[in-house]
Amino acid sequence: MSELGEADFGLTTFFARSHPNDKCGANGLPLTPNSIKILGRFEHLKTISHENLCKYIDIQRGKHERLLVVTEHYQQTLKNVAKSGKYSVEENLVTLAYEIVKGLAYLNKRGITHRNLSQENILFNKKGKVKLSEYGLYYMTEYGANVAFPIGHPQYLSPEVLCEYPVQYDEHSESEPSVLTPTGPKSDVWSLGLILLEVLTGEEFWGDLTMPQTFFKILSFVNSDIHPLDAISKDLDIESQVKTLSRDFMDFLRKCLSASPMDRANPTELMDHSLFRDLRQKNSKTKNGHRLFSSDLRSLDLELPVLGQNGYNKDYNEDHLSLRTMEEVYYLWQLAGGELFGALKREGLVKTKPPIHLLPYYSTLDGEVFGQRRDQAELLDGTIITLSQEQLRKRLSEIDETAYYPLLEDENSQVTTNLPSSPSNSDISETASLPLVIREKDVEYQFHRIILYERLIKGYPYKKSHIWREARVDIPPHVRAHVWAAILEVEGDIYARYDSIDKETPTNTDRQIEVDIPRCHQYHELLSSPSAHAKFKRVLKAWVVSHPQYVYWQGLDSLSAPFLALNFNNEALAYSCLSAFIPKYLHNFFLKDNSQVIQEYLAVFSHLITFHDPELSNHLEGIGFIPDLYAIPWFLTMFAHAFPIHKLVHLWDTLLLGNSSFPLCIGVAILRQFRDRLLTYGFNECILMFSDMPEIDIQRCVQDSIKIFCSTPKSATFRQHAREPNKPGTSSSRPNISYYSRDYNEQPKSELSMEPVKVEELKTEKCCRISAEDLIEMGELCGPSSSKSPTKRKPNSRPMIIVIDIRNPEDYAKGAIPGSINIPFPSAFSPEGDLNPCAAVNVLNQNKQQVKVIVGSRGKNANNFAADLVRLGYHKVCVLHKGIDVLRSTNILTVPPADYF
Amino acid sequence: VVTKWHNAFSEEVKRYAKPESVTEQQVFSEVYHSLIHSPALDTLLNLEHTYALTIEDLIQQRDKDLEYLDDRQREEMEDAMKNAGTKYTDAQVNQLAQRHIDNSQLISGKWSSELSNLRDTQKREFREWVLKVHEDTQSPSKSTSYLNRVRALSSSLPEAEENERGPNTIRMEESFTIHLGAQMKTTHNLRLLCTDILDLCRHKTHTVGGMVIPQPQRLQTAMSLYSNDLCALIMMVDNRLNSYTGLKRDFSKVCEQSTDFHFPDLEQQFAIIEQELALANEHRQQHKHSEDADKVSLKSSSSTSSEEKNKNLRSGDFYLTKHSNLSEVHVVFHLVADDSIKQSDISSRHPVILSIRNIIKLCFRYDINTITIPLLLFNEMTEEMTIPWCQKRVELMFKCVKGFMMEMAAYGGYKSRTIQFLVPPGISEDVFSGISSMLTNIFRLSNPLVVKSS
Repeated sequence: MSELGEADFGLTTFFARSHPNDKCGANGLPLTPNSIKILGRFEHLKTISHENLCKYIDIQRGKHERLLVVTEHYQQTLKNVAKSGKYSVEENLVTLAYEIVKGLAYLNKRGITHRNLSQENILFNKKGKVKLSEYGLYYMTEYGANVAFPIGHPQYLSPEVLCEYPVQYDEHSESEPSVLTPTGPKSDVWSLGLILLEVLTGEEFWGDLTMPQTFFKILSFVNSDIHPLDAISKDLDIESQVKTLSRDFMDFLRKCLSASPMDRANPTELMDHSLFRDLRQKNSKTKNGHRLFSSDLRSLDLELPVLGQNGYNKDYNEDHLSLRTMEEVYYLWQLAGGELFGALKREGLVKTKPPIHLLPYYSTLDGEVFGQRRDQAELLDGTIITLSQEQLRKRLSEIDETAYYPLLEDENSQVTTNLPSSPSNSDISETASLPLVIREKDVEYQFHRIILYERLIKGYPYKKSHIWREARVDIPPHVRAHVWAAILEVEGDIYARYDSIDKETPTNTDRQIEVDIPRCHQYHELLSSPSAHAKFKRVLKAWVVSHPQYVYWQGLDSLSAPFLALNFNNEALAYSCLSAFIPKYLHNFFLKDNSQVIQEYLAVFSHLITFHDPELSNHLEGIGFIPDLYAIPWFLTMFAHAFPIHKLVHLWDTLLLGNSSFPLCIGVAILRQFRDRLLTYGFNECILMFSDMPEIDIQRCVQDSIKIFCSTPKSATFRQHAREPNKPGTSSSRPNISYYSRDYNEQPKSELSMEPVKVEELKTEKCCRISAEDLIEMGELCGPSSSKSPTKRKPNSRPMIIVIDIRNPEDYAKGAIPGSINIPFPSAFSPEGDLNPCAAVNVLNQNKQQVKVIVGSRGKNANNFAADLVRLGYHKVCVLHKGIDVLRSTNILTVPPADYF
Repeated sequence: VVTKWHNAFSEEVKRYAKPESVTEQQVFSEVYHSLIHSPALDTLLNLEHTYALTIEDLIQQRDKDLEYLDDRQREEMEDAMKNAGTKYTDAQVNQLAQRHIDNSQLISGKWSSELSNLRDTQKREFREWVLKVHEDTQSPSKSTSYLNRVRALSSSLPEAEENERGPNTIRMEESFTIHLGAQMKTTHNLRLLCTDILDLCRHKTHTVGGMVIPQPQRLQTAMSLYSNDLCALIMMVDNRLNSYTGLKRDFSKVCEQSTDFHFPDLEQQFAIIEQELALANEHRQQHKHSEDADKVSLKSSSSTSSEEKNKNLRSGDFYLTKHSNLSEVHVVFHLVADDSIKQSDISSRHPVILSIRNIIKLCFRYDINTITIPLLLFNEMTEEMTIPWCQKRVELMFKCVKGFMMEMAAYGGYKSRTIQFLVPPGISEDVFSGISSMLTNIFRLSNPLVVKSS
């Protein structure tokens, strides 16, 4: 993460080579477009960060295989600087060489060859430090295989590069071109040598030769006995200048410019050259940044600077934005209306011909077209455009300085406001109430949120509960990856853990994984790239290998997709999130025999549907459209298979905060959105509808599911296969946010709690069971005083439930729950199936909105009664688990007042 | 090696490539595009319109003339036939017939040369005018003269002719919005319409307040001509590259109704296509040879009479013409089909279906956002098209087109497109509604917006 500093954003564009029509790869699938391949490889470049290299920031795909690349950029190039004659002084030249070599050596270490070095892409920042740019082109295009143009500058190409053919592409050959022997870093050294010699003399070599002549010249070095350095200096008549150089420097140049790569040094070796002895010493060890997840002590060598002491105030910077990271500024720049295509167009770089002139005249059946001309605009154009940051700066100019450094108050003191209020902009808190989609587009709002989160994440895991609280408001897309990890409580040295897993050895699930990956979220540009497929495979294999008790089920791929998309350059984190996510929400779903788990889950799901929407439940049951037919992929992938990733992340933002029963409520919320249609549909239409999930309003879905969750008694979603409470310590570190985040299974048990019910039995029942605890709590029956979770409830409201006692009047009279009404089951229903009118029924009808708890004694009566109520369209019907007997020990049963009868 | 490197650099890198000569065509298209999006739009259209009317006038005259000639010749001939043997000898009759043919050829030749002369003049005038006006707009000092020029022209709208042309007949049509895709959805528009295919091409005029004014569609088409939003049409043709029969003749008549100011005449375009066709066939031959070489041991004597087919179009091929003077279409795909599409049980691997896939692909590649497809693959209704035949065909077409759309959308950006399915007029309303309900079944309609009264 490097700071913006004085850098500009530079934008370049080029075209990937487009495939001829209808060619298929070896696996029979259509070829991946080259632009997608490049997109995938580009991600790796983002991780490259070095003081002498320009950072790659973003890549975007345009129409017709156009690619737009955003990088750090500076106006000053070596070409401009060299004109001043600065480098005829050897000392300056050595510094220049050292900085370039440093950059190259780092690239070399990361397995990247520049191949494109020239005077124009050696840039200088304001402080005069060398910044190499365009070094990633060769790497990201798979060594030139994915583009039609050759990479490099003709005059700087090294002899061994020229000896090989350029990437040739035959339109009719069956195989795709690939570069078997990518150029090594030593060719960069050749270019470096030439460039140094050029700036020394201030001349451009071979400027008056034609391109073929230049090539002949370079190739002539190969078979000649004279060292190229001597040949060049003789040829260009610069011997006198060359002779003035020191011996060290001559040796250095000789090492750079030897014709055979065998004799040439590589950048790392050059680093150790005696020429740089002095510079090496000056160059003290740079501080290396800390990674978020590691077991090292982060603050070990932290010394807090004391105010006023040794110039702490000296480098106080007025431009606060320049201290933010480049990625962050770029993200905000985009929000502030920055648009790459607009910028390109303004510069006149996207002058394409109108498509009507490009159409071919004739096409044969196999799609071969004729009479089509190549669009000249698709050729490579090396121009770099500087993107203006003015708009962003203007938008943010109003913001108070202090907003850049928000204070994280003590957890206890922060109660009301969690947004920094800026005096200039009082509507920030208003923005918070707008829909999420708008909030994500609001520059200032995102600015505040990002800064806040960034600070919180730095304080993770200490600030975990604070992150948790903020996440309930929203999660800015820019920091989502880390926030999710924090919510999933990923801790420790995940890198070492991930590295220690064997991800390569073939296993018998490989085949299935390989089949599934090319079908998983492939509309997503990044995930459809070959590099993403490789990552997918590693993450999935890592999970399967390290969880021997589980197997790979289809769906695991979808499940890992969002994590991988967010942490594309951080497989370890993606893996850690995945392995934290699965036990939390999908405990035992990936057992080899998971039918019990899934059946129970679905049974509870259908209870929930009945509880919240009896009409829909009756209809679906009537047509035989049971959850098994549509809901398994929903829950097995936690909806990752049902929604595109950009919607899924919003859903998961909330889901991750909920407990393991929350997904059930999401399921109900989805059905609710299709309710009107489902009610009119028959079986076939329903199947069709869910086979291809219709578009859904995800924001509404999230809100509905929260509402549903809050109006469901906790014990109603009890599942015996849910995760056992494992670490008693974990839940206490998390804030106890009412009902919301705790898992029912993690709470202490008593004889009043739920206990496992057989799946078969669950499936025969229509309504859910609730525990006596819930009954007592929701009915505000002053039972055991220690209510387990602080339910939010408005004072003075009526109790949430109405208790219906269906035993005989005699039993009822002997002792019943206070406030309950008595509708004896045997006489409750008329032969037509309606409720026989009586006083109790009137009470029931007056309280239709309440949760109805059916209390019976042992036997099936209570369930049957509940099922009949559902049939009549009563909603929120549930049954007291184990009947009235369970309450005998609690002393809350009273004799109902006599005037009730 | 050196030449290869040299070629690689000079062909693919802009800095080393020869600067492309800017063609006249390109300049004109740019100029036109900017003008059509400027205040001069109105004038420009009127000018085009006036020119079109002149041509139409001339064509009418020609037709009248030819008709008259025809009548006279027929009379003469009848007269001659009656008196054959008495007044005239057989030889004389033959002579007469010969003279008639010569005459009519002469006359029609005269007309067509006049027409093409007029077209050329118009085209030249138009281009000159456009470039001139553009120059004027560029230099602000002359802006007054430019305005004058514009004004001078705008007053020259022609008077209405005596035969009032009312607005055209109403088409049977229905529109749908659909979503495609499993997780990521793209929205597209579908339209089912029942009309003559040429209705989409014919440049119709109607009169308002004594003035003949162009149709609003004209404006739309002109404005989008050089944009990234083109309209295309698929037309079914036989395997001969000409315009002598059936629909092809009608189409060429529509095309010559007015001057095409931007593209060559239909005939000239055909000539270009013919050249390309030769290349295509050559390529096909080569391909075949290489394939044959693979199976040379299997079939040694499969030397078909492919040479004579060199000039022919094959089923599933298509050629493409560009037009600026049609009402709702810029590009016409002429899809070659043979008699096999009359069968009711053509499969999804039929050449014509595959060709539609190629066309849709081309549409995605070249920003053709609206395409009209003849749903039955026929231009008009015939006897053989029974109701079950229609249903089968429609089902196949819907499913295939849906499949192609999904395939192309996978990588081809997420722009929404419009597909118009055309059924020939003369289809019964029952069948039409049947087709429309099939459409809703096969494509997934977007969520209906339910307005609740509460």
